[in-house]
Amino acid sequence: MKHAMWILWPSFLVGVVAEGVFFSMVDPTDLHLFGQPLELSRSAVYTLGFFLFWAFAAASSALTCWLQHGINGSESSDA
Amino acid sequence: MRHPASGLPPAPAGVSPGGSDSEASLYEVRQKIYPRAVHGWFARWRIALVLATQLIFYGLPWLVWNARPAVLFDLGARKFYVFGWVLWPQDFIFLTGLLVVSALSLFLFTAVAGRLFCGYACPQTVYTEIFMWIERMVEGDRMQRMRLDRGPANAVRLSRKALKHGLWIGIALWTGLTFVGYFTPIRTLLGEVASATLGPWETFWILFYSFATYGNAGWMREQVCKYMCPYARFQSAMFDRDTLIITYDAQRGEPRGSRSRSADRARLGVGDCVDCGICVQVCPTGIDIRKGLQYECIGCAACIDGCDQVMDKMGYARGLIRYSTLNAVAAKWDVRRMWRRVLRTRTLIYGALLLAITCVLLGALYLRTPLKVDVIRDRAMLARETRDGMIENVYRLQIMNTSERDRRFTITATPESGRAGLQVMAAQPVAVAGAHTASVAVAVRADPANLKPGTYTIRFHVEDADDPALKVDEKSRFYMR
Repeated sequence: MKHAMWILWPSFLVGVVAEGVFFSMVDPTDLHLFGQPLELSRSAVYTLGFFLFWAFAAASSALTCWLQHGINGSESSDA
Repeated sequence: MRHPASGLPPAPAGVSPGGSDSEASLYEVRQKIYPRAVHGWFARWRIALVLATQLIFYGLPWLVWNARPAVLFDLGARKFYVFGWVLWPQDFIFLTGLLVVSALSLFLFTAVAGRLFCGYACPQTVYTEIFMWIERMVEGDRMQRMRLDRGPANAVRLSRKALKHGLWIGIALWTGLTFVGYFTPIRTLLGEVASATLGPWETFWILFYSFATYGNAGWMREQVCKYMCPYARFQSAMFDRDTLIITYDAQRGEPRGSRSRSADRARLGVGDCVDCGICVQVCPTGIDIRKGLQYECIGCAACIDGCDQVMDKMGYARGLIRYSTLNAVAAKWDVRRMWRRVLRTRTLIYGALLLAITCVLLGALYLRTPLKVDVIRDRAMLARETRDGMIENVYRLQIMNTSERDRRFTITATPESGRAGLQVMAAQPVAVAGAHTASVAVAVRADPANLKPGTYTIRFHVEDADDPALKVDEKSRFYMR
């Protein structure tokens, strides 16, 4: 449970920031996917974009958690 | 920093926690905390702030300004309406500025008086407060709730729980709807809900935000602060020995011990702390403030209110637990001496930065012209010769009218250096509706007799035909061959 929080929450915050920065500079209607313009509404792109950012950030957090776990285990430190 | 597990709630009866400090596993099962209701000065402040913040949050989307929602983040049209302002993606700098101001305010408040934000204004605290209030209404105070949870799963318990969760979900859904109401006009949204024509993305975000509210305020509660909040971890960087924090005056309170109201403290050899455990019972994060500052403490001051009540009952002076600074407690400063230390290098720097950035931001917002122009050169060709021997370059002008008034603009162009005249060929004036963009194809012509071949920097001047004070200059290149 706590691991889920440690992974999902920081990545959520980073996802929010990434979403804000990216879409304030890029208009979703300008985006192309494999050379084809995206045929999605702006709200759809915003939503999907947010979850994409969140997912990538979560993947990074998960890796960090996993790597750190190994270190704590071998040194039996108190984190 | 103390270990997370050291702040575990005490045994149900409110005995001061002890013993649980030693073996702390990071994987301990969360013990449910049953905070006890508290009344007092700080509790009243908290209620006032809960009401104020929620009045703003739930109320803003309903406000109307210029026959449109006063605050609307219209993501579909990529325009933010904030009262009299219409902000475009180009105004992102203002959002950044606002974030910097918020961060600096947080630093300043934290340096002066600790986690004021957490205790009074953080949405996590505010919604937890609202949800706990409902819980108290439905299930009773601490002891009744614990009895209910330990009792059999009978009709009374099930109906109480169903009512509580029903109310929680209701509030969560309304919160989700309000949140989406900042992005879609809330009246339209309610109409769509009523006629079951809500779009898939809006439905999704309402449910997502509702679920987050219900989960965080109903179930996660203090765990969010303990394990999820980054602020809780870096707040120590802003703390110093003159920061006001909630402190237990150990010199006065110890040795703690129970006694009857009429007992003589001196004869018993006890301090002012009667060890009633109220401070622990009222704590929403379940810590014992008597162990000193802990990172789980959200600075809600519920323990101050709780302890003051007990001190009143005992006939002792208030403030055994109080807002104080480490320096003040150690050196037994009086309140005036303590407050004088609020003005110190750290707070002065934070304050000066905050003031400067706020002024710049407000100034920029005030001076912001409600007109933006982008010039894009036609990439397909550099220059062409017209039938009458003039050299022509073609541009596309994006004229953004960021005010809410319809306006008409005239376009002229001049070379940056030299006197040669440039002719602008476009249907003028260009009408642009309020908060809209017009894209205008503009041809600029120059007489080769006046201009030698080469590249010239030119300036487009876009001016409001009815208000010459409103004008914008934009640079571009002109190719002469």
